[in-house]
Amino acid sequence: MKIVVIGAGQVGSTVVEALHDEHELTVIDLDGSRLGPLSYRHDVSTIEGNGATRSVLLEAGIKEADLLIACSSRDEPNLIAAMLAKKLNPDVRAVVRATEVEYLEAWHERQLDVDLVVSSEIETAYAVSRTLGVPAARQTDVFAEGQVQIVEFDVEQTAGDHAVIGRPLREARIPADSKVASIIRGDSAVVPRGDQSIQPGDRVIVIGSPRAAQEWSSIIAGDRPRLDDVVVYGAGRIGVAVAEHLLRQGIRVRMIESDRDRARLVAEKLPDARVFNATGIDPDFLERERIGQSRAAIFAMRDDAKNHYAATLARIHGVGFTIAIVHEPISIEVFEQAGVDVAVNPRQLTAEELVRFAHDPRTQQVAMLEGDRYEVLDVTVRPESRLVNTRFRDLPMTGSLIGAIVREGKAIFPHGEDVLLPGDRVIVFTEARRAAEVEQAL
Amino acid sequence: MISRARLRRAVRRETIGVDVGAALNLVGALVKYLSLAFLFPAAIALGYGESPWPFVAAGAITAASGLALELATRGKETVRAREGFLVVALTWACAAGFGALPYLLAGESQLANPANAFFESMSGFTTTGSSVLTDIEALPRGVLMWRQFTQWLGGMGIIVLALAVLPRLRVGGRQLFESEVPGPEVGQLAASIRETARRLWIVYIALTGTLAALLFGYAVAGVDDRMSLYDAVAHAFTTMPTGGFSPQAESLGAFGGATQWTVIVFMLVAGTNFALLYALFARGRGRALLRDEELRVYLGLVVLVSSVIVAELVAEGILEGEAAARHGLFQAVSILTTTGYASVDFNEWTALAAVAIVGLMFLGGSAGSTAGSIKVVRHLLIGKSLRRELDLAVHPEVVAPLRFSARPVDEKTLRAVVAFVLLYVGLFAAGALALTIDAAIENRAVSPFEAIAAAATTLGNVGPAFGFAGPFGSFEPFSNFSKAVMIVLMWLGRLEIVPVLVLFTRRYWRT
Repeated sequence: MKIVVIGAGQVGSTVVEALHDEHELTVIDLDGSRLGPLSYRHDVSTIEGNGATRSVLLEAGIKEADLLIACSSRDEPNLIAAMLAKKLNPDVRAVVRATEVEYLEAWHERQLDVDLVVSSEIETAYAVSRTLGVPAARQTDVFAEGQVQIVEFDVEQTAGDHAVIGRPLREARIPADSKVASIIRGDSAVVPRGDQSIQPGDRVIVIGSPRAAQEWSSIIAGDRPRLDDVVVYGAGRIGVAVAEHLLRQGIRVRMIESDRDRARLVAEKLPDARVFNATGIDPDFLERERIGQSRAAIFAMRDDAKNHYAATLARIHGVGFTIAIVHEPISIEVFEQAGVDVAVNPRQLTAEELVRFAHDPRTQQVAMLEGDRYEVLDVTVRPESRLVNTRFRDLPMTGSLIGAIVREGKAIFPHGEDVLLPGDRVIVFTEARRAAEVEQAL
Repeated sequence: MISRARLRRAVRRETIGVDVGAALNLVGALVKYLSLAFLFPAAIALGYGESPWPFVAAGAITAASGLALELATRGKETVRAREGFLVVALTWACAAGFGALPYLLAGESQLANPANAFFESMSGFTTTGSSVLTDIEALPRGVLMWRQFTQWLGGMGIIVLALAVLPRLRVGGRQLFESEVPGPEVGQLAASIRETARRLWIVYIALTGTLAALLFGYAVAGVDDRMSLYDAVAHAFTTMPTGGFSPQAESLGAFGGATQWTVIVFMLVAGTNFALLYALFARGRGRALLRDEELRVYLGLVVLVSSVIVAELVAEGILEGEAAARHGLFQAVSILTTTGYASVDFNEWTALAAVAIVGLMFLGGSAGSTAGSIKVVRHLLIGKSLRRELDLAVHPEVVAPLRFSARPVDEKTLRAVVAFVLLYVGLFAAGALALTIDAAIENRAVSPFEAIAAAATTLGNVGPAFGFAGPFGSFEPFSNFSKAVMIVLMWLGRLEIVPVLVLFTRRYWRT
């Protein structure tokens, strides 16, 4: 497939990294200094120029391209590039990165002629609330309109004897409608056969229904009470998107914003949130407002260093669960070192969302778990597939696992005796290098 | 060397920032058009075989004065925002002044005192409804209809009317409009002020017509045998502007239950935001009505206060059954909407009822209605703001915008509301004090409660007070000075204080 990528920043280079192996890429950026390293590292052609102009798009070969990924940091050039591309080549599919939620809404209402709009803010909000909805989860992805979840857990080092942990999987009491997709122990993945067991310190990836995911989280985390009070530091666009999302789920949200006018604006926009005009690092304020009593805090200020400081202070004051929104990839490690529970990178999330679309046209969602080692495919089974009518227990085990089937709109979590039918949507958990193979087989 | 005094004078002349000539020119034009209003009572007088000359002469004097003012300031036709306050304040003073001419010219002994005539006229245009008349029914039909008609003109506003019909006010009308239309935030019905003004007047005329037709229908159908075409029109003219004048000595007490119930409904409507009424009638949007926070609180207050009064009436054995409900509700609605009609002499009710009624004088109807006084929306915002102050005392960093009907209220509006209420209460206190002191100096029998009620009722454009100035009484016993005080209070109250009061600040006149 021939793909044109506009923007070689953090999102762009992550996209290139994920796609350069299988596809022919052309990368456009205004800043030539970003293109050099990219073309040395990966086999891609580059053009220095404005991707939102016809001449540059034509030079990039938009007429022969199958896909345009417009992921520069500015919304309007991205949209203009996509619209120009659609005019120059009606067959090209266009995906656009946009920070403004309005554009996403316009696209949902089919008022923007592009194939996909990805908003970093909304992706981040989903990621944060998923993480909070299942407190111990490192990462959760939702498939088939929320009927299927993939949840990633860290089993604590200190986890003791347990109905699930430390027992062979065939004996363990695994919640109904769920499957262990993979166990990651150190640097290697363990294929979860019946004689394997989950050990303390493992990272477990589970596919299952939302209810099963909830059960898993209580198995892993013990029974934490439901989240009811969250503090969001920073009322920027990401902070607001996160707060909005949590409020919609009925969670009490307090927001801390240091800019007076911004605080007022957000307070007007979110009547249900309590907005404070404060820096968030004033101990008197934290004490007076009992910030330490809230169950979770999200650090969505513009500056990683500030988030780092505020998160540490919040932990000192007793906040149980901290989530940091990071802007520089390197910060993830800093945050982990500092004891922040989850670090969310909006650009990484955006890149994942964009890459999903670049895979097989039938693939509706592709999650990238554990960096690039695993992928989750959402594929519709073709009638001519040789696996049709095969019982699940007879399917070849090739490092991939069918976690769920969506048949006539309903999710089924298959057992050994179930068979695969043409037209089934299957959610497959697979090693990244086998993704193409799996797609072909189905 | 220039002397210091000369320098100061030179500076002062240069720093006058208000184009008085332009303002007077517009006032002159408005006064000129106002003269047309005298044609209506003249026609009524003719119809009843009375002399039309007081109205014709008053019309001629008014037209000539307006024209003279306009000619004297020729070449200064552009009014800008700054002059708006001056134009509005002066226009209302002039309207009341020229509107008093027929009273003086009619040769009626009750209104021969210029202070009385001016009081009656100001009470008319400001839709107050307080009267210095002691024997209303002795006046000719034409003069009585003029009283009613001044309230109808003043209710929706003479300037709003001018905005709707005079092409000259196409520009710069917003300042005038906002100075005259009551309420902290003016709901605009259309893209242009001119169209908004026109729609407001259409709603107003339609409602007045409906009420007149209904009341006349009662007369024709024999539901109310004391009702006549004259009374139907006269009361429609003073119900919709929440005025309160009546050509009957016993006000609405002269009519039957059906008429009183109907008037209760129309008083309630007159106290509702006309923007909501327009949305309901023209676009069929009833839901906007229910969602409006002010309307809900307004109706809630009516229910609450009238049940208190009804309960008191029944408990004290003053009235019972339907009569208690009707009269209790009638008085509550009449005072709350600042109409000022009476269906019985509530002067004779208990002290609790009297205090409740004086309290109601400070509520007022909704913003954007024809009602006067402080208005429900301001009370609501003050309440919310006080609640926020308590919140801030505990959580000093919290940012909590006030909301009204789910929409955020900006701090500027809130500040204006707080200032308005403080000014209102201050002026009320000053007015009550002035009336009390004057009564003491003039040695007149005015009790403190009567002075308080008189100040509250004139500032709130309500109408009746207590004691001798009660619903079936008269303001005549007050001294001329006291009448002047109340004339100013009515003027301030109708224009919601600020447009008048800024004229007395140096900052207004300076560049």
